[in-house]
Amino acid sequence: MVFRSKKTQSDNDSVKAPRSRSLSRDAMRRLMKNRSAVAGGIILLVLIFAAVFANFVAPYSSTEGDVTNNYAGPSAAHPFGCDFMGRDVLSRLIYGARISLAAGFVGAITAFLIGVTFGLISGFFGGKTDNIMMRIVDIMYAFPTLLLIILLMVYFKSSFSVSGVAGTGFRGMLSDLDRSMGGMFFIFLGIGLTSWLGMARLVRGMTLSVRSTEYVESARAIGTSRVRILFRHILPNVLGPAIVAQALQIPGFISYEAFLSFIGLGVNPPTPSWGMMLSQGYLAMRSHFHLVLWPAIAISITLFAFNFLGDGVRDAFDPRQTR
Amino acid sequence: MFRFIVRRILWTIPVILVVSSITFILMHSVPGSPFTRERALPAAIQKNLEAKYHLNDPLWKQYIDYMYGFVRLDFGPSIAYRSRTVNDILAQQWPVTATLGAIAFIFAVVVGIPLGVLSAVKQNSLIDHGSMVLAMLGVSVPAIALGPFLIWIFALKLKWFPVATWGTPAHIVLPALTLSTFYLARFARITRASMLQVVREEYILAARAKGLREVVVNLKHAFRNALIPVTTIAGPAFADIVTGSLVVEQIFAIPGIGKYYVQSIGNRDYPVIMATTLLFALVIVLMNLLVDISYALLDPRIRYS
Repeated sequence: MVFRSKKTQSDNDSVKAPRSRSLSRDAMRRLMKNRSAVAGGIILLVLIFAAVFANFVAPYSSTEGDVTNNYAGPSAAHPFGCDFMGRDVLSRLIYGARISLAAGFVGAITAFLIGVTFGLISGFFGGKTDNIMMRIVDIMYAFPTLLLIILLMVYFKSSFSVSGVAGTGFRGMLSDLDRSMGGMFFIFLGIGLTSWLGMARLVRGMTLSVRSTEYVESARAIGTSRVRILFRHILPNVLGPAIVAQALQIPGFISYEAFLSFIGLGVNPPTPSWGMMLSQGYLAMRSHFHLVLWPAIAISITLFAFNFLGDGVRDAFDPRQTR
Repeated sequence: MFRFIVRRILWTIPVILVVSSITFILMHSVPGSPFTRERALPAAIQKNLEAKYHLNDPLWKQYIDYMYGFVRLDFGPSIAYRSRTVNDILAQQWPVTATLGAIAFIFAVVVGIPLGVLSAVKQNSLIDHGSMVLAMLGVSVPAIALGPFLIWIFALKLKWFPVATWGTPAHIVLPALTLSTFYLARFARITRASMLQVVREEYILAARAKGLREVVVNLKHAFRNALIPVTTIAGPAFADIVTGSLVVEQIFAIPGIGKYYVQSIGNRDYPVIMATTLLFALVIVLMNLLVDISYALLDPRIRYS
């Protein structure tokens, strides 16, 4: 996993020293002792497995239904019933895991890349650059995230996807890409563009503190180039905590995707997203509650697992905090 | 302190400028106009309509006009609802959202914080474990899953509350519960964590050594200091609850500002979109200011220059 250290001991150690315990190995040990975190991790592994191998795990197609099964209740053939187009709910849930996990992970990576780059530049160059860049972050903080992400999605959807500019130049390329991903590309972009502010602040703060350490100073004294200092000394020290902090954001990104799909600004229709299943099931809730129940349980269990694992990871890395 | 507040209030000016510019640019760079219909209007009518709403002016002029109106608190006419001004819409819909948000926030604070204190005081007891599992559920079940679930149980099966829409106090219960659950759980978790950290401070030991009663130590010495991290999230939480009502208004068909916002985006009703976004941004800035001021009141160690 991400928090395993690359190499903790030099290989040619001839003296039998007591096995050193690195910070990350120590954290790993604490994490494995935390039962709820381990349970969360196992649930997530199962979900990831189901999402990756959805083609083999899911009993039916996620997009094609059988009209004779419209709104069918649970049966031996369809244990979770069928939706308004006769599509198997269980299969759609399994494919939906793909969408949710992708939104969580890729959204996190997108926001991570933007935030880390922004924070590194701001902290490393300091002075006026830092001042201006951080004021930008301050201002953007006042922008209501939910509103901004809705605005962005409307902008993406109507100026790239629908308006028939497909196939021409850069715009066409983006809209083709988005269409081939069932509308996911712009969700990643929307999440990434709105959720990098916290990461930028965190990385900038850490960069500032690493920059003033003695080993960076001595590296500078022996004439190491700025680029090398940035990538060899600062980045590796900043990366670990930043990854952990970003991993804790994943449940939020999964909720964003579900909400966007719920109000019709997320994935494109046949794509099975839990949020979209909820909004479609919601319309028929009075008589067919199972259409709401299963996606609601699926997304809740997923977030539950992420939160338990996230709590465990945070405790493992910061044993002073008791939660 | 006074200078700090003045500086922070002046800070809202660039914030509003940037937020309004981004919203303005995003909305106007979307192809089509508010009058794009499936069946096209006659060109002359469309032209007249666009002239009436000044949509033919150059963009910079529209922006300046808009901001001039904003300074005078005149948000102009709504495009989709012909006979109403944006001020009318805000005056009618904002109280709904504000009521819902305020009730949800108060509920989250009044239940969440005491729950966190109780869990911390009785650490590792059954109450502690029980409420922390509940809190974990609370932060994990999203509103779009919780809302329909509550409707099904309490409105459709038990028939205790109406299914949707707005009007009587009974209409408020389910949406407010849906909206507050996440933050209630967060308050409980953060209060507990913060209490547990404060309890280990030396001044708590000193208070105990003085022979103060446990209740006094917990409530007067520990709780007040434990509130600081809670206040940190209380400001953003209020802002999030108010914007989050957008989600809940969709689920419960509540005629608040959030429902109008989503509709207005579909209708390309620029004035409504701009006004709503700015209003929400103002709430956020204001809440952050309140948080910063309340720090100083809670923690005498914090001084502003």
